[in-house]
Amino acid sequence: MKALVPLPVLLPLFAVGIKFVLGPRRVRMQTFISLTVLVADTVISTVLLVEADRHGPIVVQVGNFAAPLGITLVVDRFSGLMLAVSSTVTLCVLLYSQSQRFADENEDETGAPLAIFYPTYLLLAAGIADSFLAGDLFNLYVGFEVMLAASYVLMTIGGTDARIRHGAVYIMVGAASSLLFVAAIAVAYAACGTVNLADLAVRLAVVAPAARLAVQVLLITVFAVKAAIFPLSAWLPDSYPTAPAPVTAVFAGLLTKVGVYSLIRTQTLLFPHNRQAPLLYTVAALSMIIGILGAVAQADLKRLLSFTLVSHVGFLVLGLAIGSVRALSGALFYAITHITVQTTLFLVTGLIERREGTADFSRLAGLARLAPVLGLLFFIPAMNLAGIPPLSGFIAKLALLQAAAADGGVGAYILLAAMLVTSLLTLYAMTKVWARAFWRAPGEGAGKAAERQIVMPGSDSVAVVRSAYGAARGIGGRRISTSESYPVGMLGATVALILISLAYTVWAGPIAEYTERAAAELLNPSVYINAVHAIGGTH
Amino acid sequence: MVSVHALGAVLAPLLVRKLGRAAFLVLALAPAAAFVWALTQTARIVDGQPIEQVRQWIPAYGVSLAFRLDPLGLVLLFLASGIGALVLVYCARYFDSDEPGLGLFACSLTGFAGAMIGLVLADDLILLFVFWELTTILSFLLIGHYADRPTARRSALRAVSVTTFGGLALLAGVVILGQDARTYRLSAILAHPPHGTTVTSALVLILVGCFAKSAVFPFSQWLPGAMAAPTPVSAYLHAAAMVKAGVYLIARLTPAYGGDPTWQRLCLILGGATMLLGGVRALRERDLKRVLAFGTVSQLGFLTAILGAGTRDTAFAGLAMLLAHAVFKAPLFLGVGIIDHSTGTRDLRKLSGLARSMPALCVVMCLAALSMAAIPPMLGFAAKESVLDAFVIGAEHGTSSYPYMLAVFVAGSALTVAYTCRVVWGAFAPKPGVADTPVHAAAWLALGPAGLLALAGLVVGIGAPMLNDLLSGYADAVPGAHEVHLYVAGWGGFGLPLLLSAIAWVAGGAMFIVREPLLRFHKNHTLPEGEDVVNNLLLALERASLQITGSVQRGSLPVYVGSVFLTAVALGAWALVYGAPWHLPSPVPWWASRTQLAVAVLTCLAVICVPLLTNRLAAALVTGVSGFAVAILFLVDDAPDLAFTQLAAETVSLIVFVLVLRRLDPSFVRTQRTSRRAAHLLLAVSAGVVLSALTYVAEAARQAQAVASGYGELAHESGLENIVSAIIVDFRAWDTLGESSVIAICAAGVTSLVFARRAAGAFAVRSRPERAEAGWLAARPAVLQRSLPLEVVARLTYHTILLVSLYLLLHGEYGLGGGFVAGLLAGLGLVMRYLAGGRYELAAAAPIDAGVLLGLGMALASGTALLGYAWGDTVLAPAHFTVHLPVTGSLTVHSSLLFDFGVYVLVIGLVLDILRSFGSEIDRHIAADREAAAEPTEPAPEGT
Repeated sequence: MKALVPLPVLLPLFAVGIKFVLGPRRVRMQTFISLTVLVADTVISTVLLVEADRHGPIVVQVGNFAAPLGITLVVDRFSGLMLAVSSTVTLCVLLYSQSQRFADENEDETGAPLAIFYPTYLLLAAGIADSFLAGDLFNLYVGFEVMLAASYVLMTIGGTDARIRHGAVYIMVGAASSLLFVAAIAVAYAACGTVNLADLAVRLAVVAPAARLAVQVLLITVFAVKAAIFPLSAWLPDSYPTAPAPVTAVFAGLLTKVGVYSLIRTQTLLFPHNRQAPLLYTVAALSMIIGILGAVAQADLKRLLSFTLVSHVGFLVLGLAIGSVRALSGALFYAITHITVQTTLFLVTGLIERREGTADFSRLAGLARLAPVLGLLFFIPAMNLAGIPPLSGFIAKLALLQAAAADGGVGAYILLAAMLVTSLLTLYAMTKVWARAFWRAPGEGAGKAAERQIVMPGSDSVAVVRSAYGAARGIGGRRISTSESYPVGMLGATVALILISLAYTVWAGPIAEYTERAAAELLNPSVYINAVHAIGGTH
Repeated sequence: MVSVHALGAVLAPLLVRKLGRAAFLVLALAPAAAFVWALTQTARIVDGQPIEQVRQWIPAYGVSLAFRLDPLGLVLLFLASGIGALVLVYCARYFDSDEPGLGLFACSLTGFAGAMIGLVLADDLILLFVFWELTTILSFLLIGHYADRPTARRSALRAVSVTTFGGLALLAGVVILGQDARTYRLSAILAHPPHGTTVTSALVLILVGCFAKSAVFPFSQWLPGAMAAPTPVSAYLHAAAMVKAGVYLIARLTPAYGGDPTWQRLCLILGGATMLLGGVRALRERDLKRVLAFGTVSQLGFLTAILGAGTRDTAFAGLAMLLAHAVFKAPLFLGVGIIDHSTGTRDLRKLSGLARSMPALCVVMCLAALSMAAIPPMLGFAAKESVLDAFVIGAEHGTSSYPYMLAVFVAGSALTVAYTCRVVWGAFAPKPGVADTPVHAAAWLALGPAGLLALAGLVVGIGAPMLNDLLSGYADAVPGAHEVHLYVAGWGGFGLPLLLSAIAWVAGGAMFIVREPLLRFHKNHTLPEGEDVVNNLLLALERASLQITGSVQRGSLPVYVGSVFLTAVALGAWALVYGAPWHLPSPVPWWASRTQLAVAVLTCLAVICVPLLTNRLAAALVTGVSGFAVAILFLVDDAPDLAFTQLAAETVSLIVFVLVLRRLDPSFVRTQRTSRRAAHLLLAVSAGVVLSALTYVAEAARQAQAVASGYGELAHESGLENIVSAIIVDFRAWDTLGESSVIAICAAGVTSLVFARRAAGAFAVRSRPERAEAGWLAARPAVLQRSLPLEVVARLTYHTILLVSLYLLLHGEYGLGGGFVAGLLAGLGLVMRYLAGGRYELAAAAPIDAGVLLGLGMALASGTALLGYAWGDTVLAPAHFTVHLPVTGSLTVHSSLLFDFGVYVLVIGLVLDILRSFGSEIDRHIAADREAAAEPTEPAPEGT
């Protein structure tokens, strides 16, 4: 089993090398390689998930150099779950984008970014996988860098004005957080003399509180930027919507979750007795509320979804803030649900863009009549996001509510209320989209584009909001091809993701039991530490 | 049962496509089957043997698929399935087959019937909530059926917002209650109800949910708006079924919590208020459907008050009233639907003379109206008598609030009588001055369901006592006196209840006749319109969200980056203060040597200079100083490898800077205000100070020995002499692999961006070298200002540099060297060729694709990692190979050399790639710009 652990990272890297050597000509071969690698990733991740659940954490010392000198990779229940879900989602989005690409081949002669799109996409997958696997703070940083570097390229792909402008925001904020990450690693090493996570956990427990706090607040800041937690979230809705739909989909589904994963991992493992609950309570509640208010204010579907993303990351932080088994279990369940659902919604938005050439729902109308299938594809994940039962989003939120109620503190009750308000407003935003884009009579939309101008005298807020989405002419400044029918792959991938999200409901029992076990494992860091220390390398 | 409906709902669109509106007849089979099943179970339930079925769903969260059929559930099941079946039959004539969106409608309606049945059968509070929200969402879809009407959309949004608000309150209440009770099973909670402050707050939340669902004041605004839905929906959801869900849950919990004073007060006061407000409002409406809708609001308030009162008798009477209401309200709605369908209007001022033209319908609706006005022998009368009876008895037993409630009920009943008259008069009476409304005949299949229900009201009314056992089966669970029963035709003999009824009839009749002054009074003393309240709330929400978002979402990069550092500074400062760093075990000296200090001062000076400079190139060069300073620090600390690498990397970065800056304005443009610059400065300085302080604290707090000390030993054991190189290619090769891929992807990304503007061909194709021309150097003489000595030196030293770089690569294991630095050196060789001879020279020096080099490097490095499986049991497993060469003897090669070679190739690829894109390609842009400038007629190509 151990032999499989590094493969989700290594296979894509190798494939990227091959792809670069092959060049852009052999399209079929290229497609075949990408698919094979990601299918293999998915299978391997699933096997690892099952193994880690049965036999406890799987620990690998790369090159057999023992920790803390060598690099440790760990698959425990938490990382196994994230790995499996993320690789599945990446595979679906790959199918989607490949189908989109083939359908567009004849129309889009420029084809400029395509030769680097797939290699970069594979690297992104590798970076995400490495971040989940890393049992070493510095390697976690490397995983992040791989992921971010790939995301920088994907964000600016095509080099249009809009993408470069918004990409610059994304890259600069990303670079700032990377800088802080390095500083955090330096501080951690200075204080403890190690970067191995299990070692750090042992040593941080006995180091002077000032040093421990220093490491903790730096890590929280870094991961809060990556996870887009308020007040460090403003970059996300400005940058994500300009990228092509599949890119935004995979970013929205996965990148913030990697930040959340790292936050949960480091906080539970390194600082089990210093949770900084008040801080996390506050940012969780603010993220949820301010994020969803942002969503309510939007007229562009992609921007709206980006704001709900910020908002719903708050749910995950909330799970960490409450910090009981049930709370973390709910957070984990919500994480996998949200990865799947948010990705699906962006893919559906891509389908809408394909059909109508825009995702600005003040201009969309009558989709329920014109494209009933699209309606169904949007409605199910939208309701899931809003937490309508029995969809999986509800089940995860139920666990979080239970945790808040069980906690019984004032803070927990405030969070409980914030959760419900957020759910209500999410539903409001989603039904509003539905009423406008899907219900309005076709043709009613065109005249109404100006209706959002009735706003706020004497505040420049509107100008900001408007200019931000007004900038995205076409999609990220790039014309996209439109058609009445959808390529099979685009549709198939979207449907597959919806089916997966429905499966979460049907098998909610086993999944909830798994996340409970995973949460219990997280709250007992000695399992992780002992597993790492028990594995001696050959040296 | 529920799954049958789910199946029906899924199949509905297909059926509709196949069969048109006849599909509804097929779909009606599902609730009809449920009804028949319920009938067969009646005897057993009345005997006091509830049916239970439990399946696991999410045991970890305590949620199960528990269903339970008991008397209360049975009554509601009759309503949900019976009326559901009839309404579906009705739909088969109400709609035309080519109605747009009919498939979705059929799907939602069938699904709704299933959800409603599930709701009344659920024995798990969470499961109940699942069905509860399903009904909300389905009703949203059903209300918005006429989606092209803006009012329908707005009503649907309003309804879903209000009911979901209640639903979420309910969820909170259920979760808190379940937390206290340690179970979500209704039967278990009812058997051992928990009590306490927490539970009371949970109950209030649950009541909020019930009130919102059942349109009880102050949540009644959405229901009249929901009348925008097609009539079958109004009849089923908004009269018989969904709005009953809230009342049902109150009835469900009353056995356990009916005695709770908060519960009682809320239900009685708000229920009573709703009854009066709704009744008055119904008198004012002119649209028949809206009259009925406000009537429903009034009746729901009535039901809430009765069922929440919390004694056995009131519970009994409440359930009877609930049944009666569903049975008379549904046919009225269906009748109005037929009128609407036949005449095209529901305005009671325009309708005239329908009694003559539609006699059958008139009989049906009058029958139902009699029941609504509580005239004997209808079921409505029997039920209302029992209600009055229950409260009279309660008042006699000394419950102080009941006399007031009786007054409210009588007033409410009078209003009911008045608006009932209004409906009947409005629909059927010939009106002076209005011509008879032209009609087309109604289909029997549409009239049938309404007639059947109205008839049921009569039959059950006469045979009311047969309900006694069933209703008692529920009500006996509530503590209190056992004195109220239903009587034949509701006739319990003369007494106070009958007197009260009579007062209501007379007063109601009078109100109908002289309603004008009454309405004027009401008009002048009216509460704000409920729909406006919700609309204003939603508008305020939109405004607030826009304002808050505007203030948070500045769209400004400096603000975003600033907030990152600000957060770090704030949290870091807090950590410094809170963590009490005054007692640290191992204070560290500020500097180890004079050189260190000097270098630090130099770096600081350079960094201070950067923001002061206005020339971009100068700024880049000065920034480079700090890089070189770091190299010196490495040297001072005896790390020549690192120093060398740092130097090479710094040189390459500088060259890249210079290449890029060619295309930018040479100076920065300062547009920011001084205050903003001051703020930036303050933030930057404090970020530096706080980070330094944190580092100092961390260093001083160190107690454990650093792991670095272990590397020397490990390297020695592994037979490696250069620790740095061993770390890079062996111990932490996994990191190196990751960073290599970062390099590769950055190179690819840069190329993609620089070339994207030309939008022709793909990355690797575009970076394919151009054919060199003949000459001492390949450069075209005219292109560049050339320096012959530089050219010659470049040519002559190029191969030497490559050789040296190879040496460094191979030597890495033993001393100074390694793939990274070797690659950089070779890259510097390329840089020299390019600088000397321009792009053609570069093409001649490296006649290979940069993309291929990058790919080869990555494939080699990761391939070596994979080969670890071949000669070890894991990736990157180290291995030695001893090769016997004829001349030099045996040579031991480490597997890491191959890895290192991959890095080497990759780095060369990187430098080449950068030169091609920032060098050659930008040269080409410049050249193109020049040509364009020379020929002003041509449009200038885009620059970078």
